[in-house]
Amino acid sequence: MRRLAVLWRTTTVRLTALFMLFFVVFAVLLLGVIFWQSTVQLQRQQTEAIDKESAQLQRLDRNNGFRATILAVQRLAAMPGPGIYYLADPTGQVIVGNVSDLPAEILSDPGTYSFNYDRQRPFSDDEAADGPPRGMAMVRSAKLESGLILVVGRDVLERRGFSALIFQWFLFGAIGILVFSMAAGLFTAVRVLRRVDSITSTSRKIMSGSLSERVPVTRRNDEFDGLATNLNQMLDRIEQLMLGLKEVTDNVAHDLKTPLTRLRNRAEAALREGGHEREALEQTIEESDRLIKTFNALLLIARAEAGTPTGAMSRLDLSAVVADVAELYGPLAEDEGLQLVTDVAPDVTVEANRELIGQALVNLVENALKYYEPVPGVPGRIAVGLRRDGTRVLVEVADTGKGIPAEDRKRVMERFVRLEKSRTAPGSGLGLSLVAAVARLHRGELRIEDNAPGVRAVIDLPAAQITSRSN
Amino acid sequence: MKILLIEDDREAASYLIQALDEAGHVTHHASDGETGYAMASSMDYDVLIVDRMLPRRDGLSIVESLRAEDDRTPVLILSALGEVDDRVTGLRAGGDDYLVKPYAFTELLARIEVLARRASPAEAATSFAVGDLLLDRLSRKVERDGEAILLQPREFRLLEYLMKNAGKVVTRTMLLENVWDYHFDPQTNVIDVHMSRLRAKIDKGYANPLLHTIRGAGYMIRE
Repeated sequence: MRRLAVLWRTTTVRLTALFMLFFVVFAVLLLGVIFWQSTVQLQRQQTEAIDKESAQLQRLDRNNGFRATILAVQRLAAMPGPGIYYLADPTGQVIVGNVSDLPAEILSDPGTYSFNYDRQRPFSDDEAADGPPRGMAMVRSAKLESGLILVVGRDVLERRGFSALIFQWFLFGAIGILVFSMAAGLFTAVRVLRRVDSITSTSRKIMSGSLSERVPVTRRNDEFDGLATNLNQMLDRIEQLMLGLKEVTDNVAHDLKTPLTRLRNRAEAALREGGHEREALEQTIEESDRLIKTFNALLLIARAEAGTPTGAMSRLDLSAVVADVAELYGPLAEDEGLQLVTDVAPDVTVEANRELIGQALVNLVENALKYYEPVPGVPGRIAVGLRRDGTRVLVEVADTGKGIPAEDRKRVMERFVRLEKSRTAPGSGLGLSLVAAVARLHRGELRIEDNAPGVRAVIDLPAAQITSRSN
Repeated sequence: MKILLIEDDREAASYLIQALDEAGHVTHHASDGETGYAMASSMDYDVLIVDRMLPRRDGLSIVESLRAEDDRTPVLILSALGEVDDRVTGLRAGGDDYLVKPYAFTELLARIEVLARRASPAEAATSFAVGDLLLDRLSRKVERDGEAILLQPREFRLLEYLMKNAGKVVTRTMLLENVWDYHFDPQTNVIDVHMSRLRAKIDKGYANPLLHTIRGAGYMIRE
């Protein structure tokens, strides 16, 4: 009972029950209409048959005289079946007929009548057992040209019997529909509930700690599979975030503890040795500034990966931002002996956070400047570009230096990864991970490609929809 | 300059008070929001330094109340929250500048000195003069000793900002924020390169340089 109550609370069962109810009501209505229609139809057929017979006999009387009529009625009345025939002389005395107790007005006033009568002979065996049954007749009386009065009719009980038979089938049908729809409903409900249960049990397992658990996806490709796929993608994302968090804490532990230890050692050494306090303090400040920068970069990455509130996003003239950054770094590149060229498509807008996009672009340009290693025979050049490619917007920073070996290109985007040759240059190893995080935040991606020679970093972003509000 | 510091961390506060004293400023200190608000509304200060997270009353609500009372004293908000939206809410509440902890004292000092200046009418001046260097904000012309100097638009804004704050130290981050509108620490000497180009245009060939590098702090333009 409890289990039934629980089952009843589920949406599926309720929906199925509701659907069943609608279905049954509709089916019963449909059957009712069929029943009613067939009854009416039968009645009409009978009336037509009576009218036709009556007309034939009237014609016979007119053409062949009353003797022929009497013979014909006699023959008809003797035939088994529901037919009722009666022929009376003008005074109302019976000549032939298979009924006896006709109401008087039928004979005196021609027309159509229904009446009860005592059947003289049964027309089906089962009714014979209970003596002369009361019959129900529908008749039409007519005065013939010869003066005789003709009554033609049908026993309607047969028709009623047929209707009862239809009604019986109708009942069977209704019950069948009810049983069938209940079975179908139960089957559907159980099937759906089983799918839901599999999702529930998976989520329980995940809640209890096994984060790698996934909702089973069948090959049916239905909406449950759609839901399961989505849930699994969400779980993948969560797991990825958790792993990222773990990675960050590991890295923080390593990459922040190392400089902190250095800081502490230096202070300790200065205390012990004495004499170099000023120098030690200056180094301490420098080191802590670096630590703060690393820390800020980590926070920014974490923030970008968690996704900032949409309030921080606005319609941004990316062309202006790219041009600004190129202008900011142009002189510096020139001082380093590099030519900074720009190829910025005008009026490219994206839905973005200006600070983060700006910072990402600055990181790419600073990287190109910091890690540039000349290739003999190739003029040093940094190309900053912005172009539209269909529904995508591509921000590119490419240099003509030695580049990054193909096997390292993915790795450089990870946190704290610094290639061996760049260890000597200042930096936290977080620059590209921040760019990648910013790109992901804007539903895009960062790609590190071969510029042959050199590195080409591409931030691939979706273009802002032209139809969206302008602000 | 008379400064009110509302900061609950006593160690940070006493360090700041001492450093500001060495820089020649008188500093009053409140260690919670309520006291700070009472002091700010009852006395005249040139600059308020308000920590964002305070006991008894939030730093932003102090600033909002002061602004609602039409108190226009410049406010520098100090905060450990440094994200873009945090900065925006801070400035929207009525703060004039926003500095993220931890910060270098030189940065804080440069910012409050510029802030105190902001309250004076110089903000609305249409032209600036430092020695024989003239900058006209309306015609966007710069000349030194009667000779016109051609500047790129960005160089003009750089010089404009420096001259508006003539005699005060402006840090690299302040320049990046006010001239380029970016709030980050450049890892390279990108600002210095721009400054040396500007210097080449306004100081080269003149006996007395106007643009000075202040070691460990930033730049200053003065006679």
